[in-house]
Amino acid sequence: MSDKQTKKEKMQILKELREQYADSVAKTQAHLKEQQSARRLLKKAMKTGPMTVPEIAEAVNLPSDEVLWHIVAMKKYDLVTEVGQDGEYYKYALPVKEKKS
Amino acid sequence: MATNKIKVDALVVGGGISGMQTALDLADQGYQVALVEKEASIGGKMIALSKVFPTLDCCSCITTPKMSAVAHQENITLLTYCEVDHIKQNGKGFIVGATNKPRYVDMDLCTGCRQCEYVCPVDLKNPFDNNLGAIRAIRVPFSTAVPQKVVLDIDNCILCGKCQTACAVDAIDFTQQPEEIMIETDSILLATGFEVTPKDAKKEYGNGKLLNVIDGLDMERLLAPTGPYGHVLRPSDGKEPDSIAYVQCAGSRDETLGVEYCSRVCCMYAIKQAMLLSGALPLADITIYYMDIRAFGKGYEQFYQNAKAMGIQFIKGKVAKIKEDENQNPVFRVEMVDEGGSVVEHTHDLAVLSVGMLPSFDPTPIFNVPNDTDGFIMTPDQNFSASLTMIPGIFAAGAATGPMDIVDSIMTAGSAASAASAYIKSQQNGKEESSSKIADLQKESQHA
Repeated sequence: MSDKQTKKEKMQILKELREQYADSVAKTQAHLKEQQSARRLLKKAMKTGPMTVPEIAEAVNLPSDEVLWHIVAMKKYDLVTEVGQDGEYYKYALPVKEKKS
Repeated sequence: MATNKIKVDALVVGGGISGMQTALDLADQGYQVALVEKEASIGGKMIALSKVFPTLDCCSCITTPKMSAVAHQENITLLTYCEVDHIKQNGKGFIVGATNKPRYVDMDLCTGCRQCEYVCPVDLKNPFDNNLGAIRAIRVPFSTAVPQKVVLDIDNCILCGKCQTACAVDAIDFTQQPEEIMIETDSILLATGFEVTPKDAKKEYGNGKLLNVIDGLDMERLLAPTGPYGHVLRPSDGKEPDSIAYVQCAGSRDETLGVEYCSRVCCMYAIKQAMLLSGALPLADITIYYMDIRAFGKGYEQFYQNAKAMGIQFIKGKVAKIKEDENQNPVFRVEMVDEGGSVVEHTHDLAVLSVGMLPSFDPTPIFNVPNDTDGFIMTPDQNFSASLTMIPGIFAAGAATGPMDIVDSIMTAGSAASAASAYIKSQQNGKEESSSKIADLQKESQHA
């Protein structure tokens, strides 16, 4: 049971699993690297203010369907918010960080 | 591999609406039931739909209480993330071997708080949203999932251990292994549902490569309140479509696909979606290209007439080809049946293929339950006992036996539960009434 595993044991189990699943871990790491690099570009572009998907796609030079998917993924986990509409497209913005009082 | 053993009166395979209703109907009569579902949550296809026709009731509002009832019914042993491997005859009953797949989460400890999901760095395409939305490698499958527990997709995980650190109750367990379960049962009820025509089945409709050609189940997710975008947007660029067109019989009544039958639900779900779209996008033009409209059920014809009155355009015509223009708009080449067979080109923002229903599960590799020529489970006595299969003690319900809508699925679930109840009773009382009927049918089919 997991509650009997010490921190060291947990790390050892993960290490062994990483060896067992080496191929899928490598594939997922490549996917994650691509995801993180796209997200960095998106966040940088969106610092200028709310944007539509085609506007972001043009700014970061990525296909608009991929940009939409990233926006949807970020919106789901509160990393992007929807802020109104511009014609046929919705506008998205980075969430406003709460200032520490 | 550790083996657990359970003994029940009935085993239901499939946790969609048919399987849930079958299990509840039997359990409410006092029978002990095991319900096996291959996914991490019960609910099947129905929980992913937007609304039902013709009443336009919310699907989630109907399905969620059923899912909850299954989980709380004490006569039902719910086995999710579990697959049937083999079935063996055991006298008049059966011994079924199933594998409980590892979720890498202790089901007793997990509270479904999703803290692990929030810290997981890996975003994946969400199968619950037909890959339109996103989900993490460790997640609660969807917001109303039953059981409300997380599951880890080990094949798409970098094994970073962040979920383990975030879990407040130490529920993440990477040592979990597949677990074998032996189920001794008097009867089996197959409620294994259906799949839809793959989007790449027809090269004429873009081979699944055109981003703005989606299928009926995709549109269900776009229309659902829990949908991936939160609005009806097209997948290529997030544009709110101004012109949406449906292609009927895109996968049914089509000899080239080997699907000669009518899937029975496509006309009605297209009409329903068109009505919902009229509400969601009041300014959008909605067109349905059809061969003929089959509105056969109670209240269905009125529903169709209401849709026409709402301004949804019905064009009798066969869509021969869909290509896309430079803005990724689907361009339809249509033979206009009512206009002397003239061929025209129409451009829309979004195309929806009204794909048909295909069999989802072939039981023959694990037990000889014969299929019909269409691939669905054979039910030889369609007129009087539609839930009987060719094997005494094995019954079938819902779309496992052929294309049908939710209303009929629930009805056949009740019928299957009733037939199984009679069978179980007769076996437990030492009588053989139910099986003799099957024996007669089997003899008839051999002589035919």
